[in-house]
Amino acid sequence: MNSYPVELLAQLAPVMFVAGLDIPLDAQEALQSTPPKYQDPFIVLALRLREALVSQRKPAMWQPEKSKTFQVALVDPEVRFPPRKMPPPEDQPFAQTHSPLSPLTPSSPLYPDGLIAPIWIRKHTSLVPSVFVLFKRIYESPQPANRNPLDHDPEAKEREAEERKRDAELSAEIALRKKSTNERNIKLTVVLMASRRMLDDPTLDGRLTYIRRQSGLDPRAALFVLSPVSPSEIGDFVKSLQEALYDPAVEYYTNHSKRVRRKRNKHAQASSGYQLPLSPSYGSRPLRPEGWTVRYEYKMACFAEFRGEDEIALKHYQDSYNALHIMFGSTAILPPRTKRWAEAKVLADCINVKICKLYLYNNEHSLALAHHNSHMRKISDLSRGWGIGEETFEYWAWLARQNRVFAELLEQGTRTTLKIPTHLPVKPPPATADPRIAQANPLESDSLKSLGLNPSQALQHPGFYYYMAARCTENRRDRFLHAGDNEVAMHAAAASPGFANEKKVDHLSIVLELYTRAYELFKKYAPRIPQNQGRQTLWIAYRIAQTYYQSGKFEMAVRFFERIAKTYRREKWEAMLQPLLTTWFACARQLGNMEMCVQLLLEMLGHGLNPDSDDPDAIQEDLIAVLKTSMPSTPDGVLVADLSESDPLLDTSVVFWKSEVTVGEPAAFQLSLAASSTLPISSLPFTSLSIHFLGEFPTVIIRHKALPTNEQEKEDLSLVKRVDIGSLQWGATVLSDDGSLVVEADLRWGLGSTMVICGTLTSDIPVSMSVEKLVLTMKEGSWSVELPILPNSRRSIASQVPRWLSSLSPPRFIPIQREHTSSVTVQYRPHRIYVAVSNDAPAYLGEEFPIIIDIINGDDRELDIVIDVLLHPTEIEEAVSYITFDSEQSAALIKGISCGTLSPGGKVSKTLNLGTSGAPGDRMLDISVQSRSTSISAKLSESTPADTGETLRTLVVSVIDPINVAYDVVYKRSSKPQRSIADLETYEGDYWDDGDGGVAHVVSKFSCAAPSGVHVESVKLTREDNSQAKITSCLLDSDTGDLIEDWLCGDEFCDRCQISIAPDDDYSKEDFIAGPGTYEITWKRILPEGAYGTSATSYYRLPSLQPPPESLIALMDVPTTATMHQPFGIQLTVRNRHPSRSAYVVVQLEPEATDAFVVAGLRNGRLPILLPGCEEVIRWNLIPVECGFVKIPKIKVMNRRKVIDQQAHARVTGGITGEDPAPEEPVEIVDIRWDDRSVVAASSDAGTTGSGAVNRYICEAVVLVLP
Amino acid sequence: MAPLRLNAVAFVSSQNHPILIRTFNQPKQDELKYHYIAHTSLDVIDERITAATATKSTDCYLGLLYVEDVAVYGYMTPLKVKIILALELSDALVRDADIVAIFKALHTAYRRSIANPFLKLNSPGSENIVTDHSTIIYAGTPKWKAFRRRVDEIGKAVSTGVPIVSSA
Repeated sequence: MNSYPVELLAQLAPVMFVAGLDIPLDAQEALQSTPPKYQDPFIVLALRLREALVSQRKPAMWQPEKSKTFQVALVDPEVRFPPRKMPPPEDQPFAQTHSPLSPLTPSSPLYPDGLIAPIWIRKHTSLVPSVFVLFKRIYESPQPANRNPLDHDPEAKEREAEERKRDAELSAEIALRKKSTNERNIKLTVVLMASRRMLDDPTLDGRLTYIRRQSGLDPRAALFVLSPVSPSEIGDFVKSLQEALYDPAVEYYTNHSKRVRRKRNKHAQASSGYQLPLSPSYGSRPLRPEGWTVRYEYKMACFAEFRGEDEIALKHYQDSYNALHIMFGSTAILPPRTKRWAEAKVLADCINVKICKLYLYNNEHSLALAHHNSHMRKISDLSRGWGIGEETFEYWAWLARQNRVFAELLEQGTRTTLKIPTHLPVKPPPATADPRIAQANPLESDSLKSLGLNPSQALQHPGFYYYMAARCTENRRDRFLHAGDNEVAMHAAAASPGFANEKKVDHLSIVLELYTRAYELFKKYAPRIPQNQGRQTLWIAYRIAQTYYQSGKFEMAVRFFERIAKTYRREKWEAMLQPLLTTWFACARQLGNMEMCVQLLLEMLGHGLNPDSDDPDAIQEDLIAVLKTSMPSTPDGVLVADLSESDPLLDTSVVFWKSEVTVGEPAAFQLSLAASSTLPISSLPFTSLSIHFLGEFPTVIIRHKALPTNEQEKEDLSLVKRVDIGSLQWGATVLSDDGSLVVEADLRWGLGSTMVICGTLTSDIPVSMSVEKLVLTMKEGSWSVELPILPNSRRSIASQVPRWLSSLSPPRFIPIQREHTSSVTVQYRPHRIYVAVSNDAPAYLGEEFPIIIDIINGDDRELDIVIDVLLHPTEIEEAVSYITFDSEQSAALIKGISCGTLSPGGKVSKTLNLGTSGAPGDRMLDISVQSRSTSISAKLSESTPADTGETLRTLVVSVIDPINVAYDVVYKRSSKPQRSIADLETYEGDYWDDGDGGVAHVVSKFSCAAPSGVHVESVKLTREDNSQAKITSCLLDSDTGDLIEDWLCGDEFCDRCQISIAPDDDYSKEDFIAGPGTYEITWKRILPEGAYGTSATSYYRLPSLQPPPESLIALMDVPTTATMHQPFGIQLTVRNRHPSRSAYVVVQLEPEATDAFVVAGLRNGRLPILLPGCEEVIRWNLIPVECGFVKIPKIKVMNRRKVIDQQAHARVTGGITGEDPAPEEPVEIVDIRWDDRSVVAASSDAGTTGSGAVNRYICEAVVLVLP
Repeated sequence: MAPLRLNAVAFVSSQNHPILIRTFNQPKQDELKYHYIAHTSLDVIDERITAATATKSTDCYLGLLYVEDVAVYGYMTPLKVKIILALELSDALVRDADIVAIFKALHTAYRRSIANPFLKLNSPGSENIVTDHSTIIYAGTPKWKAFRRRVDEIGKAVSTGVPIVSSA
């Protein structure tokens, strides 16, 4: 920016002159020394005003905000403006007058053909204001103390006269000033400073009016009064002052614009024949019409900018720029390389910056960049014609300047309002996918924008432009150096002045400055994301480092290179490493840092980077030369060249033939070291290669031993060499000076050759064996360089597959396709333990099921055996299980049951018991037999793992119930007569009334399900009588002793018991009565050999009882047998067991002719009404008259309750009997000899009708009549 | 499609190692420049990816990365291989669709090359050839000519203005 006149670039703003705020020097000093309290308030006020006004606006390139602020200049009250018109030269009295800056004025710097000069802008920014503000003190007469307002003041008159006189003086002064400002249409405003007291003075208004009139000030916004106030109030005052004066200022610049436009129009009309009254004696041509256009448009643009009218300014700047471009187009108008041409170029550049800036104010990023680019392109095109094309340093200097000024503009802009756009791809909105809509869209440019963008119009952050400027400056330097060479070659005595100037330029420091600024900006704009590597900044840093190198600051360059190389190495960008390392090496050489040189050369060899493709030996030779000609900084020290970050000098790989070996077994390995096939390293003076193994293996040192020449030649032909280092033993000591094994071999690698070092490793303890590191040592003169190499480092991907050398001539390799080929694990031989688990499945519920574990030591080592057993939790409901093992019991895990030490061939047997109850189902067990060798090796350290083994067995035991039981329950009604209500016995506490419940007969059928059979020791029924049921008899009570003891699978055993049931009053159909007893069977498993297992007891509870409910029932009691002609009685008990309804029962006996009886008793009759719970007994006497099975006479019992109900209902409703008469309900007659109901039958008979029903309602009992 | 002048194409692996960098019709001393361009664009690509992850965008195309004396565009395959191309600057609108078509063609060329079963012959261990990093790097070495040939064909097609039919 400094390369252009600041006037042409700065943002223009209305100019305000402020006068009358000067403070005498002594007053300033006094101010500093006195405390604030005693300072003169007016001096403080003036100081604050100065500060406030000047800080309104600072001249800057980027100031887009449109607040009404002025560019304030503090001036002397008597300041004189530059003359408006020059008096005409004396010899041309009739010529027009012109401004002293006009090209028409001979004394002007622009005379005769200049366009516009920075001095013109300066005139408008610092010499001529748009408003003039004059600060003045108004006279204040001293106030007499203790003045009584009522008193007539004798001095008042005197004072008034004095005031009047002073005011008149002030007015005259202002009038004088007013006269000069009026000449230039400048608004004059006077601010009178008065004390606070004065503001309240009633005479003030009059005095002000007087002053204004006398001085001829405008009526509006021309006279202010200000008293000393606080800083914030001063701010307000300054703001209101500016607001009041802004319109006059704008008007002032508008007038200027109008004047210029008039002149331009006049000029445009007259342009064809426009001839300047110019004396030819000056010998130069006058300004051409195009030049005048440039001039006028530029002026109008400036005035518009003063007014803050950006769009108008932009328009005029563009017109001016276009006219200027036309002028450039013709060498006749603007001859190149003249003063005016140079001025015009500067002007064009500056107008370009202004145009770009105005576009950017409006956020028109693309337009701004497009204009900037087109400016550079246009001038570049022209430059070729001017002889300063791309091959000249002038061109590049100019281009650099363009980029730099643009970058500076952006940088200033981004500090305040400018936002750099992001260029993310925009998805085309779905609407524009339809071409018709896209066409109809008035905002076509927007839709185009969404589809793509013009990369050359994508504005980026200023760092990029600084970077471009730096690149251009580098080019400039190249061209300059080139030009210098030519000049020397041509012996041009008189260099052009441009070249002489260029010689004074320190290009590199400019480049450095530009790169540094670019670097800072790239850093500032770098995305704030954690994975940011700062590659862009690294690239610029690389350029900076190169510049440092060029300017001879090698130390700085090296510091940069160190940092940059890290990322490039890590990300394997080798192409970029090469120039970096080359320059770095050059720096190191310049610095005399030979260690660094050696390290860099080794790294270059490792990367296979060769700057000079014609001479592949160059780096190697460089390295040897460095080693031979120089001395290390510490003569006896060893330089360790750490190349771990970069590619290795030799491709190395360690391959073990097997991935696992057992102790004592040799593990064969091959270590191959392969040289690059592009860069030779054959002359490097390696003296030894040491191989360090992990663990306590001796270090192997391979010393270089040159082969005799004839063998050397033979060796050169073969690409693969093999070196055998024999077998190495863990912990073995080697009889040499330093405890290492020394082997001799030829340590020279030809182009692409490989050395394979093979041997075996043996260990007596379990370890992981591998090669830890390799160290190559190079010795030359006083140099000793150590090169640590990782055992598996490869420079290229192609050689990644591990290979095993199988044949040397011809060389053949076997690819080893497995992971982790570079290490081998040594393990103990697995223990030979035989575990047998035996059992007699299935297990029976309730018993302790023995599981026998037999362990045989089949190994030749003595082993300690420990057993763990885990019982898996089961998902079966109610299943309970536990294990017992050596007096330990657990429901889950028993750990660490020791079986002692087993000598080789020894055997141990252990019994594990599995106890189960609850529910049958599978139980799962894990048995882990752990063995541990008792022989403790002397070499074992704390960290080495012990020699252990584990044998696992999983066992699933199915568990069944050995005895299944099935119950059959029938219920019988009670035949006992009902006790009468008043029977006292029923009130006894132990009175058992089974009249309602009757009796249940339970048949229990036990069947043996155990495949092996069980030996039953006893079967018992334990009575658990409860309040509702009790066992009255049981078959087991009577037969004891003759039980069959051994039950085989399928055997069954029955018992029958009778249970008297007395349900509670609140017993309902859904309730159950708990079974009043439990069968207890004590049994033993019959073992295969006939013996019995342990005794176990199973329990089977009697089933729950559920006597069926009943209602009205007739029970027929008939004897089983009768004797011919002997009378016998039958009895019918009608019981109403309905809980709430009474019964109206009619009994009919229907004798038939075929009947085998003679009947005496009721034939047809109604029983008394049966209330709920009551019963009635009817008896008949029968004399059989036939023998055999004979049926007793037909008896029917009917419940007529419904009929009665209907009749009663009919009576109530008035005898309407439209309904069918309700049928009589038959009552079920039960022969108590056959009375048995199961729960199932009782619940299902409710809905049964049909033929079966008839039988149930008519008693057809049969009697055997004996003769 | 208006002919675009494609100067260079770069394939960069997910771990930011270069796979293949091809320049088209460039002077030899400028080839290195495109290495630097590819490397520096990785910064911008990282930034774009972070932004894309934040908005859950799954678009492979990352747009114009930056402009130097060439316009640099970026693309990332679903397996995080980055493709970068450098276009000669011309004062004309470059449609995103055209660039995406080139990228898709390049992506296809890459996929077909990586699908070469013979690549695996020298690749140890890993079964999944598509994601094995060293195999991907290996595919770009001069030994495998088809990849280079395919990329060069695309470069030629772009420069002659032949419309690239996206085969993706």
